[in-house]
Amino acid sequence: MDSLPPTSNDSHPAALVIEFRNVGKTYRSLLGNSVKAVEEFSLQVGEGEILGIAGPNGAGKTTLIAMMLGYLRPTTGTVQIKGLPARRYVEQNGVGYLSELIAINPKWRADTALARYAMLAGIPETEIPAHVNTVIEKLGLEEHRNKKVKALSKGNLQRLGLAQALLREEEILVLDEPTHGLDPVWTQRFRDIVEELRRPDRTILIASHNLDELQRLADRVAIIDHGRLQRVVSTGYDQTHQAATRYRLTLVSGHERIRESFPEAEEAGKGEYDVTVSSIKELNAALADLMSRGALVASVVPERSVLEQQFREAIGESQ
Amino acid sequence: MSRARLSRYSLWQFRDFAIDRGIAIVIIGFLLGYMTLEPIRRTMGAAFGLGAASPTWPLVISVASSVASLAVLIALNGMVSTDRKMGYYRFLFSKPVSPVAYYAQLFFVYMIGMLIAMLILSGVLYAVIPTFKIANFLLYAAIIYIAMGGIGFFVSVATRFDWVTLAAVWLGSRVLRDVYGPKPGWQSKAVEVLPPVHKLSTVSQSLITSGTADKSDVLWLLGYGALFFALGLLLLRRGSLAD
Repeated sequence: MDSLPPTSNDSHPAALVIEFRNVGKTYRSLLGNSVKAVEEFSLQVGEGEILGIAGPNGAGKTTLIAMMLGYLRPTTGTVQIKGLPARRYVEQNGVGYLSELIAINPKWRADTALARYAMLAGIPETEIPAHVNTVIEKLGLEEHRNKKVKALSKGNLQRLGLAQALLREEEILVLDEPTHGLDPVWTQRFRDIVEELRRPDRTILIASHNLDELQRLADRVAIIDHGRLQRVVSTGYDQTHQAATRYRLTLVSGHERIRESFPEAEEAGKGEYDVTVSSIKELNAALADLMSRGALVASVVPERSVLEQQFREAIGESQ
Repeated sequence: MSRARLSRYSLWQFRDFAIDRGIAIVIIGFLLGYMTLEPIRRTMGAAFGLGAASPTWPLVISVASSVASLAVLIALNGMVSTDRKMGYYRFLFSKPVSPVAYYAQLFFVYMIGMLIAMLILSGVLYAVIPTFKIANFLLYAAIIYIAMGGIGFFVSVATRFDWVTLAAVWLGSRVLRDVYGPKPGWQSKAVEVLPPVHKLSTVSQSLITSGTADKSDVLWLLGYGALFFALGLLLLRRGSLAD
């Protein structure tokens, strides 16, 4: 099997799991108009990796996922999972999939919907109740289990969608806008669940608008716009990264010393200052200098995450 | 393993049929039969129950075959297209399941469901006309399910507006055949490849009455439906579930 460069969590080269090779998708209307949803998209995803997919509305995220699951045939190129055509892999092995649109027959009851999916997922009949109960408990759906799907709120429906994706221990999880409609408590709980799901032999794809979420969860993020891969960003901080970054510093004391260490610091009120540095190394050196002068630093927060900055640059370039 | 799992799931598919379509077929079929035949039965009295010897027998056959056709339309409506339209396919087929096997099974589960609904309705008819042969009627219902249902299945895979398209194809074939069939020239040959709707009336008459029908007519109907059913499966295999 092909291998990829190591991910941030693994010192060994990761085995190749998902491969988009020069994939394109063009929609054609009956009137002959055509829209290119995805163009010349190539990307490899390794085993154990959490890959984020970010992009503005209509960038092609959902189309890419539909092609990855074999629901859509690419107009050009191929999508392979573990060396098999995507659809064949899914038919043989299944994947945990949470779609952006939670479409479950509204007449079904929440728990029987899960029992149906569990049966299709290949869980032995005697074990289905236990699996259903586990995901119901994990997603806090106990009081809604007997309700019909149409009676569930948006947030509960989202949790039911996530529950069906987690019924079985899947090697591949694909989560499209997973926190859409979730309240802050369940958004945080979802992040914990994804962290629990991280395993060396499991690959997770998360498509989201929420850059903060991807920054926290993903190892790498593919930024796409107008159906094209703009760049792939590693979400870890790179000490050699040279792009200018703004940080907000909060000082408890030593305000008068700030410009000795950060000559360009701008006061932002309430003991806060905006500073611009060209690298993490420069930031640390200046902070060390400031603290050696007796200043007490309460917090240092980047104005934008690495991902947000890269996202803005990538989308800006593609406009 | 996969086949065993899918066949266990057929119980869920049957349950869906019974709740969403089976009850509707029985109610609509009963109402149609009752409203058409009951006034005649009241007028004719005992003569109505004579079966094939009764002057109203062609009407009974016509109502019975219409109910069977309607049942096929209700059974087939949205079989594949609803899952695609509503997006239900997304979770169903992220599981290790082949859409081809899933919908092929669904087609036959619905056939069983439709035949059970026809059994109930023909049981009611039998109570009024004891000479009405339930087995003959069920055989006809099975043939029309394959003939009309095969085309309906293909249409449901190919388009979102399946029952409208199926009704248009069915009616269009009938009209085109009536218009161009008797005329000399290439048109009369061309209409031969249209769905064999015209054969249904003769097949229903003889099959429901005597339990026999022209073999070539029956084979033509079954073959035509089976061909389109197979084409529907091929389209599922080759095409996209998403739009």
